[in-house]
Amino acid sequence: MMWIDSGTMPLLTLSVFFLLLSPATSTSAPGRPRVTSCRSPEKETFTCWWEPGDDGGLPTTYALYYCLEGSETVYECPDYKTAGKNSCFFSKNDTSLWINYNISVVATNAEGKSVSEPVEVDVVYIVQPKTPESVMVSVLEDDHGPYLRVSWDKPRSADTRSGWITLVYQLRVKQVKEENWEEYDAGMQKYYNVFSLHSGKEYMVQVRCKPDHGFWSEWTTPAYIQMPDFIPRERSMWIMVAVFSAFILLIFAWTMNVKRSSVKHYLLPPIPGPKIRGFDQQLLKSGKSEEVFNALVIQGFPPTTNYEDLLVEYLEVYDDVKQELVLNGKNLPEGLLKSKTMSSDNDSGRGSCDSRTLLMEKCAEGVEESGMEQELSQFGESSWASSDSGEDRENPASPRQEDRKVQTWPPVFSSPQPHHFQQQQPGGTRASYHSVPEISCRSPPGHSSGGQQNRFSKPGFYQYTQMHSMDSIEHKHVAQVPQSQSAEYVEVQTVDPENILLLRPLANAEGHDPELSDFAGEDYSKVRDVTSDNILLLQRDLSGPQYVRDYCQDQSGQVDPCFMQLQQVEQTCKPTNVHLHLPSLMLQDGMRLAGNGYVDSTIMMS
Amino acid sequence: FFPRGLVLLSVVVASVFVSQGSTSENQRLFNNAVIRVQHLHQLAAKMISDFEESLLPEERRQLSKIFPLSFCNSDSIEAPTGKDETQKSSVLKLLHISYRLIESWEYPSRILGNPNQITEKLADLKVGISVLIKGCLDGQPNMDDNESLPLPFEDFYQTLGDSSLRKSFRLLACFKKDMHKVETYLRVANCRRSLDSNCTL
Repeated sequence: MMWIDSGTMPLLTLSVFFLLLSPATSTSAPGRPRVTSCRSPEKETFTCWWEPGDDGGLPTTYALYYCLEGSETVYECPDYKTAGKNSCFFSKNDTSLWINYNISVVATNAEGKSVSEPVEVDVVYIVQPKTPESVMVSVLEDDHGPYLRVSWDKPRSADTRSGWITLVYQLRVKQVKEENWEEYDAGMQKYYNVFSLHSGKEYMVQVRCKPDHGFWSEWTTPAYIQMPDFIPRERSMWIMVAVFSAFILLIFAWTMNVKRSSVKHYLLPPIPGPKIRGFDQQLLKSGKSEEVFNALVIQGFPPTTNYEDLLVEYLEVYDDVKQELVLNGKNLPEGLLKSKTMSSDNDSGRGSCDSRTLLMEKCAEGVEESGMEQELSQFGESSWASSDSGEDRENPASPRQEDRKVQTWPPVFSSPQPHHFQQQQPGGTRASYHSVPEISCRSPPGHSSGGQQNRFSKPGFYQYTQMHSMDSIEHKHVAQVPQSQSAEYVEVQTVDPENILLLRPLANAEGHDPELSDFAGEDYSKVRDVTSDNILLLQRDLSGPQYVRDYCQDQSGQVDPCFMQLQQVEQTCKPTNVHLHLPSLMLQDGMRLAGNGYVDSTIMMS
Repeated sequence: FFPRGLVLLSVVVASVFVSQGSTSENQRLFNNAVIRVQHLHQLAAKMISDFEESLLPEERRQLSKIFPLSFCNSDSIEAPTGKDETQKSSVLKLLHISYRLIESWEYPSRILGNPNQITEKLADLKVGISVLIKGCLDGQPNMDDNESLPLPFEDFYQTLGDSSLRKSFRLLACFKKDMHKVETYLRVANCRRSLDSNCTL
């Protein structure tokens, strides 16, 4: 037996060895196939495809089995050929709708078989039509430019006519060189217009379709189309507009360039150089400076005035709010009395109630005396007295007797005063003849002349009082709008070293009112006689003689009822009324007796 | 003979006009019915897809192992299952079938819930189909005695011993299928009746 054992062992090993060395045809059962998809192109037939698994090294056969829902009968695929390899085609007879098919594939080889996973299919829901057919693309013209018109046909197999299938279409367009597709939904129609494509570019178009419940078909093969070259209308319009405006601009620029200088002159006008009248540049250049500067001298500058022109004819003094200083229109000269300057208006110098204009209402107003002090220049006071007899000689042609003007005081004042006076002129003193309203409103009761008042002295001095800035002097009196004010009797208080009369209103204001009213009527005095001492005797008004006397007697120890010193103003009878109705008045040297009995005191002053 | 022929001709023309008028009205009703059932079908498809998405993976596996999945109530109603069959059926028959199908869903649709008012829509569609039937009949006596057949079992879907998951799925799947059936039938009937519908596209 040994020889048997030793013989078989190598045989065994050899066989094993041979077996091992032979090519690996390890057959096994096939791997599981898999049903990949089932599709129906027209809802009448359908096809299923599978992929085989591992075949196990042996030739494997595949079989598809299906069964319908509701029955246990298993059927095998009727057609393996029509649809190609690894497919099963179900014909119309084998297709039932709204029924679930349970499909599975069995792979069989020598070793065994394997079954795929079952797939449940309802034909109605696996419809995927074929691609549309006969895709045609053409370029059409329009008002706005060319556009594409794409038309196609339904896939042949789909029966849309009987309503069995309802297809919707979709197309996509892109430039050949681009990457992004532009998709458009065409609905159930079989044509579509594509607008807004670029000129000169080549485009490609594709179409596909889908049933109402199902899958999209494949895209058709692309159709190529070349867009013609064109310019969009609106762009061409803009180009034209741009060209036109550029042309206009060009012309404009050229014109400006040609007229460069005049444009510059218009836009930037040259600043005129300084010019001095009379200044001759040529002279300056020639070097003769004296001639140049002589040429600058204007004849007549500074304006030299005729002193006579500067005479103030009369002044109206107002007290407090009711009084205002009214001046003659002319400047106050320095101490010049002028008889000439009588050409004032008719109203000036008049009492308030006599003036022609608006004073009647003011006459009705009562007059109050304010207890303010007033300063009067000394001359003013004296001139008051003189003014009683003052007359307007220069104006004999004065149409009315009422026009009495008193030559005033400008000579009375020292030099600084006129300056001040002039300063104040604009302030509010009416240095004009027109300052009628300022005249006080004392209506002269029985004055023959109608109640002219010689208030001038007061206003005039009133003004000067302001210059001296006495405390009680309100500037406002001067600066006020002239109101009807009554003349107030003032009392000379002191005389300044500057020859300025410091006045003080009478303390007893009320008491004087009646007096004043009586006196209001009299601005001028009538000269009765001239004494040997050259004293002017004024005729006193009989209407109120007692007042005067009383008035004069009121004064403290200075009663000189009849005479007033004109040269110097002293404390005399309170000369509230300028035209003090004194029985007589001393006529100083220089006083002239006018023809009509009025005294021109201005002459005296000179 | 000439005047008699004229009278006859005028009568024929008048009848054509009258029928045209009624035809156009009928056409409008048909289009309306098709649109309505299409809407119902889309609704059903959405419902079942939502349901499938909400399934857990194990539930999905569970469902896929079950066959048949949709065992519908309407299987008892004889209806064409292919194009040829449908083409052979008359319009009236198709209308009748559609009517029965819609009717069979009136009761079970209450289970589907009421957010989309399916029951009301089904009722409206049923009425519309009956009008179409009357219009089709045109006074002819009703040859089809399908209406005498008993209705399908109304509680079909409730009494099956299925799991709740399966029950829900079945309900939705059957509803979707039946709506598609009706849609197809009505479309075919519509296209067959008139030429100006969009069947020729």
